[in-house]
Amino acid sequence: MSASVRGRAWFERLTGKARPVEGLPPSVLAADATIEGHAVRVIAVVPDPSARFERARNGEMGIDEGFGVAAAVNATPAGSAILAIVDVPGQAFGIREEAIGLQRSLAASTQAYIRARRGGHPVLTLVVGKAISGAFLAHGLQGGWIGAIDDAGIEIHVMSEAAVARVTRMERDDLTRVAKEIPATARDIRTFATFGAVDRIFAVSDPDAPGDADIADVVRALAEVLRTPEIGCRNPRDRLDVPAALHTRTLARRVREELQAQWDA
Amino acid sequence: MTTMLLTESFAERGARERARALLDPQTFRELIGPFERIASPYLAAQGVVPQSDDGTVVARGTIGGVRACVVATDGRFLGGSIGEIGGAKIAGALELARRDAQRGTPTRMVLALDTGGIRLQEANLGILAVSEICDAIVALRELMPVVAVIAGRVGVYGGLSLSTALCSEIIVSEGARVGLNGPDVVETESGIEEMDSSDRPLIWRVTGGRLRLRQGFATELVSDDVPAIRDAIARAFETPNELGPLVAQVFPDPRLARDDFLRAMEIQP
Amino acid sequence: MIETLTYEFPATQSVEHRAHVGVVASGNCEILLEPAKDGRSAVVVRTSVNGFGGTWQAVLGRFFARNPVAVQIEINDFGATPAVVALRLEQALESAQ
Repeated sequence: MSASVRGRAWFERLTGKARPVEGLPPSVLAADATIEGHAVRVIAVVPDPSARFERARNGEMGIDEGFGVAAAVNATPAGSAILAIVDVPGQAFGIREEAIGLQRSLAASTQAYIRARRGGHPVLTLVVGKAISGAFLAHGLQGGWIGAIDDAGIEIHVMSEAAVARVTRMERDDLTRVAKEIPATARDIRTFATFGAVDRIFAVSDPDAPGDADIADVVRALAEVLRTPEIGCRNPRDRLDVPAALHTRTLARRVREELQAQWDA
Repeated sequence: MTTMLLTESFAERGARERARALLDPQTFRELIGPFERIASPYLAAQGVVPQSDDGTVVARGTIGGVRACVVATDGRFLGGSIGEIGGAKIAGALELARRDAQRGTPTRMVLALDTGGIRLQEANLGILAVSEICDAIVALRELMPVVAVIAGRVGVYGGLSLSTALCSEIIVSEGARVGLNGPDVVETESGIEEMDSSDRPLIWRVTGGRLRLRQGFATELVSDDVPAIRDAIARAFETPNELGPLVAQVFPDPRLARDDFLRAMEIQP
Repeated sequence: MIETLTYEFPATQSVEHRAHVGVVASGNCEILLEPAKDGRSAVVVRTSVNGFGGTWQAVLGRFFARNPVAVQIEINDFGATPAVVALRLEQALESAQ
């Protein structure tokens, strides 16, 4: 698997000459930028071919990345928003990771984002590449606002397509057919957006090397969201009430209604 | 109608009986039970027969006389995997427990998880549900402890393992495993030399309850015994709940060769 | 794919309660049983193992011949053998009486 350059490209374009946050592993980029006057700590997870964990060299969220992102988020300056740039092919698959407890590392960053958001830091997410499984849970999905670029390279799922094919013993063509019938199994960003999980999709000229117009578009949109901090502070559960979700998340809503009705009998 | 069970084994019970066993006797009351038939509409088209409760049971009752709610996943239905309905049951129960705590009538929350993770057949809905579950756990922990019990045959993997790590107290059994990626997934992605998924003793040495206790990830190790688990839960609710950042524990240099690394972690390769 | 099979049987006895047994796991099935009103029993079987309509007829027929109860039964099946199905039916009936 070739490592993606997108995360770094978008990070560098959006942070410019902002000083990087120190003390983080090389695979975790963080810098305090200013977006139209708003302070934003921008965080990306990128490939590090010389990472000390051999299974975490292609941009995966591994032990160092989970705790690294957590550290960056937890040290966000007061009054600053947070922007997670997401291009993560998944979590690291290794015996060292399992032995140490990768779930704990990813929980660290998940918890950091949740506490930052609940503590009043708007958390924004920009998906520019893959957003798979535990990695997306730990870096991006806790955003109160989620934007994404419109590109076939965006992939949102819980497992690589190859792995799904193996586990379900289905051919890739069958999986594609099923994805059309059952949107919950689709991998593309537009289908993910039908669940009310994506607030804005940006058309861009070159996803790997965003141009000035692309960046200006995104910056304008981010600034608009930042002007209303409540947006970036929305909880995941709030997404159940957006218009799209009324049609596509009916059971998630109904279960909550029933639980509430039956809670105190 | 209670089934007569001659065993005190927790792992041998189905989800419903586990929830019943963890609540004080005669206090079990299931919410959204099987006869309400809120079942997954996504499975039939994928050649899977849905289960009437979607493999997750929510029950109210008391624990130690205190208002409580136990959510239990059934590891036997699609590996205990979490889809839209099961995910909403877990998240919704946590949200209501937080509401109760805010109102001054706290409800103790126990998550008896036995799950391989997010259900592939409902991937997008499952991952959204898990993000809600994670948020709800942290939100509830601002007010009171959230206790996880991992004592089933599957253990906890995937997104729910992440959620488990967010809980205040994690009670595990020797037979339970806690990891992010299942051994078959690690083997598929990184090769059999990395992890042989058929080497069951290895799997337990690397992700089993005993290791997790030693690492300080789990707060208590219990035998597969309902009274022991109930006692552990009671102790868990007495423990002060400090919501601090999860800190990396010390581990050996990962550049060590695989076997040397494991030995340095006191795990026999 | 999922096969849905329906069956009806005459009934002369009644049950008190509803019952739920089993699990949709490989080699197993889940049964929901509820009292029926009108002197007949109705069974709906949903199964991912196709082509065994005759076997289901036989197993259910034997059960209702021994136990002519007026019930509505729903079976969610994942390849349970006739022996397992028969066991689950007996368990469900016992719970319901």
